[in-house]
Amino acid sequence: MSSNFLEIINATFVASKKNKIDNVSLTIKEKGEIVCLLGPSGVGKTTILRTIAGLQDLKSGVINLKGKTISSENFNLEPEKRNIAMCFQDNSLFPHFNVLENINIGAKRKNGSKFNYSDKDLIKILHLEDIQEKYPHQISSGEAQRVSLARSLFSRPDLLLLDEPFANIDTSLKEELQKKIKDILKEFNITTIIVTHDSHEAFFMADKCGILLDQALKQYDIPYNIHHEPSSLEVAKFLNRGVFVDVKVVETDCAVHSLSHPILGEIRGKLVNNFPAGSKVKLLLQPEDLRHDDQSKLKLEVVDRKFRGTNFIYTLKTSSDEKIPVFVHSHHIHQHQKSEKFGIKTPIFIDHLVCF
Amino acid sequence: MEKTMNKLIRIIGLAIVGLFSALLVANSVFANEVNVFSARHYDSDVQLYKKFTSKTGIKVNVVSGKDKALQKRIKEEGKDSKADIYITADAGRLGAFQAEGMFQKGASSAAIKKVVPANFRSPNWVGIAKRARIIYYNPKTVNPSWNMSYEDLADPKYKGRVVIRKSSNIYNQSLVASLIKNNGEKNTAAWAKGMVNNFARKPTGNDRAQILAVAAGEADWAVANTYYLALMLSGKKGAEQQAAAKKVMPFFPNQDGRGTHMNISGGGILKHAPNKANAVKLLEFLLTPEAQQHIVNNTFEYPMIPGVKANKLIAQFGLDFKQDLKTKVSNYGKLQAKALKVMNEAGW
Amino acid sequence: MIKRINFWVIFAFLVPLLVAIPIFTVFLSFFDATGNYLDLLTDTFLLKYLSNSFLILLGVLSLTFIFGVTSAYFVSFYKFPGVNFFKWALILSFAVPAYIYAYSLVAFFENYGTAFSILTFLFGEGDYNKNIPKFDGLIGSMFSISFSLFGYVYVLTRASFIFQSHNLIEVGKNLGLSSYESFFKIILPSARPAIVVGLSLVAMETLSDFGTVDFFSISTLTTAIYNAWISFDDLTTANQLSFILLFFILLLFVLENLSRKGAKYHQNSKGNKPIPKIQLVGGKSIFATCFCSILFFCSFIFPVSQMTYWTIKFPKYFQDINFWSLNINTLILVFLSSLFLITFSFMTNYGNRVSKNKIISYLSTFSVSGYALPGIILAVAFITFISWFSDLLSSIFGFNSFKNVFIGSIVGLVIAYFVRFFSLSYNGIKSGYSKINNSIDENAYLLGYSKFKTFTTIHLPYLRTNILLVGVLIALEIIKELPITLILRPFNFETFATKAYSYAAQDLLEAAAFPSLCLIIWASIFILFISKYILSEK
Repeated sequence: MSSNFLEIINATFVASKKNKIDNVSLTIKEKGEIVCLLGPSGVGKTTILRTIAGLQDLKSGVINLKGKTISSENFNLEPEKRNIAMCFQDNSLFPHFNVLENINIGAKRKNGSKFNYSDKDLIKILHLEDIQEKYPHQISSGEAQRVSLARSLFSRPDLLLLDEPFANIDTSLKEELQKKIKDILKEFNITTIIVTHDSHEAFFMADKCGILLDQALKQYDIPYNIHHEPSSLEVAKFLNRGVFVDVKVVETDCAVHSLSHPILGEIRGKLVNNFPAGSKVKLLLQPEDLRHDDQSKLKLEVVDRKFRGTNFIYTLKTSSDEKIPVFVHSHHIHQHQKSEKFGIKTPIFIDHLVCF
Repeated sequence: MEKTMNKLIRIIGLAIVGLFSALLVANSVFANEVNVFSARHYDSDVQLYKKFTSKTGIKVNVVSGKDKALQKRIKEEGKDSKADIYITADAGRLGAFQAEGMFQKGASSAAIKKVVPANFRSPNWVGIAKRARIIYYNPKTVNPSWNMSYEDLADPKYKGRVVIRKSSNIYNQSLVASLIKNNGEKNTAAWAKGMVNNFARKPTGNDRAQILAVAAGEADWAVANTYYLALMLSGKKGAEQQAAAKKVMPFFPNQDGRGTHMNISGGGILKHAPNKANAVKLLEFLLTPEAQQHIVNNTFEYPMIPGVKANKLIAQFGLDFKQDLKTKVSNYGKLQAKALKVMNEAGW
Repeated sequence: MIKRINFWVIFAFLVPLLVAIPIFTVFLSFFDATGNYLDLLTDTFLLKYLSNSFLILLGVLSLTFIFGVTSAYFVSFYKFPGVNFFKWALILSFAVPAYIYAYSLVAFFENYGTAFSILTFLFGEGDYNKNIPKFDGLIGSMFSISFSLFGYVYVLTRASFIFQSHNLIEVGKNLGLSSYESFFKIILPSARPAIVVGLSLVAMETLSDFGTVDFFSISTLTTAIYNAWISFDDLTTANQLSFILLFFILLLFVLENLSRKGAKYHQNSKGNKPIPKIQLVGGKSIFATCFCSILFFCSFIFPVSQMTYWTIKFPKYFQDINFWSLNINTLILVFLSSLFLITFSFMTNYGNRVSKNKIISYLSTFSVSGYALPGIILAVAFITFISWFSDLLSSIFGFNSFKNVFIGSIVGLVIAYFVRFFSLSYNGIKSGYSKINNSIDENAYLLGYSKFKTFTTIHLPYLRTNILLVGVLIALEIIKELPITLILRPFNFETFATKAYSYAAQDLLEAAAFPSLCLIIWASIFILFISKYILSEK
């Protein structure tokens, strides 16, 4: 056995007769790492967590925790003996205990890891002061989710599993909580697997991200790489921040690679994947990739504009009917109406050229 | 796994302790005892057993219940049965149980043989008290001739004036069994049809209800056991019923012929009795004058042994009537099933 | 599945299996060759027995329907003098077993009975017997059983009325329905599932009744089975008759289950405000009050008064009774039985929950039909089975016989009660468990709680109301239980029920009054203890 903290080897997770995830291999090397599993709903993310927790049987493959097999094809360690805590997406507080009691019930695990916060600290951190005497049916689902989180943290698990932990929490509170919880997890070195469909959340929280698509783990890497170097068209499409345009590879020998697009012209940058010169590929254009420049000769027609407070996202149309998103700061000099012309700075330079 | 085992052991342990404490409550074992299964429910019997205990030091344990259920229990327990004596209130049942080989010989000890007439005992069981199944009538409306018989009740002239309880009743079955024995099945079937034609109402209620029906004028004739009238006369059922009972007269039928139909309460020693000696002692005790006096004063049955006088409430109607000693009570058991069939076919 | 086998699952498999043994026996022997009793039966009595059973069933169902639904309708929707009293007073009828009701009925109406005494007291000497209504055993059985069982229909129907959607009734009003029309077109149909559940419980209890029909000497299917078994030793016929009975009752079970599903559908869970009650005035108000008063009087006051009257009139019998030992015996049985029943029902339910195994779940469902076996049949089946099993083990392994441990002992009694009332207990706990989401358990495991600890810290406290309810229902059944106790009890062991029976058997109903009264009082105490849960309007 290796010294990896958690190993999932060639695992098949079965959610239902039709829905399964095949051949997942995933390693958490060090204690304290935070891993996010990102994927669309219905892909079986929750099934993976439940199987790791021991609530469901593993169809094939092996799961090892701290060098010991906890799940395999014909063995399933009882969930209560795994020292793994899990926060469910729906409210699963004990209805006959109040909030404080619910949190404290988690503290009784015998072989828990070290944890210095008291129940009161957690209540303060998670803003639960006002409801600590209340019963689960008297609080909102967002509050219940935070209580559930506090309870799991307080049980000092070796491995913490969070199923959409911020799903029901108000946007205003979400970012603050994400940070606080990340800090706590890091401070106490709690290894965590978070399941979410929100890539921002995943990229913020995670040391490593896994992308689950089409019944498989498509990519498992650090968030930066996931963002900049998606391993496949599907992953890039799922992350959903851009469009693909047809380009031709022109030059790949120099330090700076160059592509050409019939309307946008030359696009320079570094190719993530190598292609021989002359190949026709699809290039990922993200809103941040293009710059606004009224002086530019390259002008495209505005077909849509989304105002998002600090910024606008314009959708531009090329003469070959490709729709391209562009991100600009929300400033009067960037105001354009529909069907006006919008100038794009040339030559276009993109750090990571994601092509397939 | 170890923890689960520990828990399992703890729970099983708890269950065992529970079982054993329950067992202790249930089976407080006395060395010197005799166990009675009784289909007679009289409290006075229990008082009598207490007298026996104070006299001999032998504890008497009792379970009372329905006849056949008790028999079933004894049979199924087989050689493990703790029951020593089975007591019931019908000769037919004693006979049938004997036929199944459930009694052992020895119920009629030398002492018992001396006092109990041969008709009311067998090697396997012995009668403890007698009762007659007789006719009751309303003296204001009818007056039976001295030689009236059970057979006469089927006479069409009594149409709509006779009450008797249901055919499912064992006393009726024994009575009809004795009729079959004496008159044959065919005649008895005709008799049963005649009876049904004479019914004043659909059979309902117990023997006492039949007597009360005569008192209330619902019918002129009723068939019931002797002690029911005495029970009412005793005032144990209240002043109204005492007064009602006085409106009815008992009549001992078949004085011209074989005599009035007699039945017994009796008991026998069971095949696998663990305390046979004590059982014999108890049966002998029940047939002592002291015990007999206690029985007749409480249940108003007739004494089984000579020298003991029936309670005056029953004695006032005469003790010198002719009893049917010809028809052996041991026949009742054999013919009860036939009797039931005859009655049912008549629509009783 | 092998991965998931544990202590709880084993229990979930074994307990229902043991409970199901008598039922399996009945099913398996159906295809054996018939015995001679069956020929006799088919020739003469079978039709009679069946028709008696059927008539009683029909009468009881009609009466309980009228009593239960009408009273539930009045107390749920209207205000009239005494409504708050009747609301709970009507459930006291549960405290009077049908056989004790039968004793009272006979005692009151017989020639020179209590009615006669009252008339004499009021109007002086006279020949009143002709004026006192007489009825035969069939009618007597119907009334006795109906008055002691209509509570099932009342309680369930009332609950359904209370939780009925307020809107539904208002819509009815908007559509211009009169209260008469809205009752028949809206209220009654929407409460139908609850009524069916109530009636099927009544039907099961009626078919398995022995004490009442035995007292009235009415032969029914149940007595036919008893006779086949016990008088004719014809086990096959007994089983075949039992099969007919079980078939009827399983049919009722199916009906009841279907209705339960419907009931869920009909129940409007959220935002249910209690329906504001309408004040009745004038004749209607008098009618409602009279109806409920008469029902309460007939079902509870009448038997209690009859028994009290006798207890006072015949104080001699009162002294004859060993009061304390009767109390202790009854309570020991109640305590041990509820302890075992509740414990094992919990284990079985939890095992079912943990295993999610279909076979175990079917087995549990099947075993609860033990309730359908009449107590008297069960008692005889128990004796037969134990002696067969004991003989079998003795012959194979040379064990000492253990018959005496089970037959004629408290242990045997408790086991027989267990089989009989497992359904009651299992379903009671199950309905509590259905309120606990599965993820609650998973959460507990994930917080490091073992199955046992999850059970003690999470389930037990959460289900304490359920436990109380189930415990009291078991207590009520056992206090009233007669045939099993009578047949299987140890030496010198009496409960209130057997004592009352024993006096009734020696034609001293007067003496049966005091134990009967004690029985009713105990049962009433238990009922009052849980009335607030039964009658909850939330």
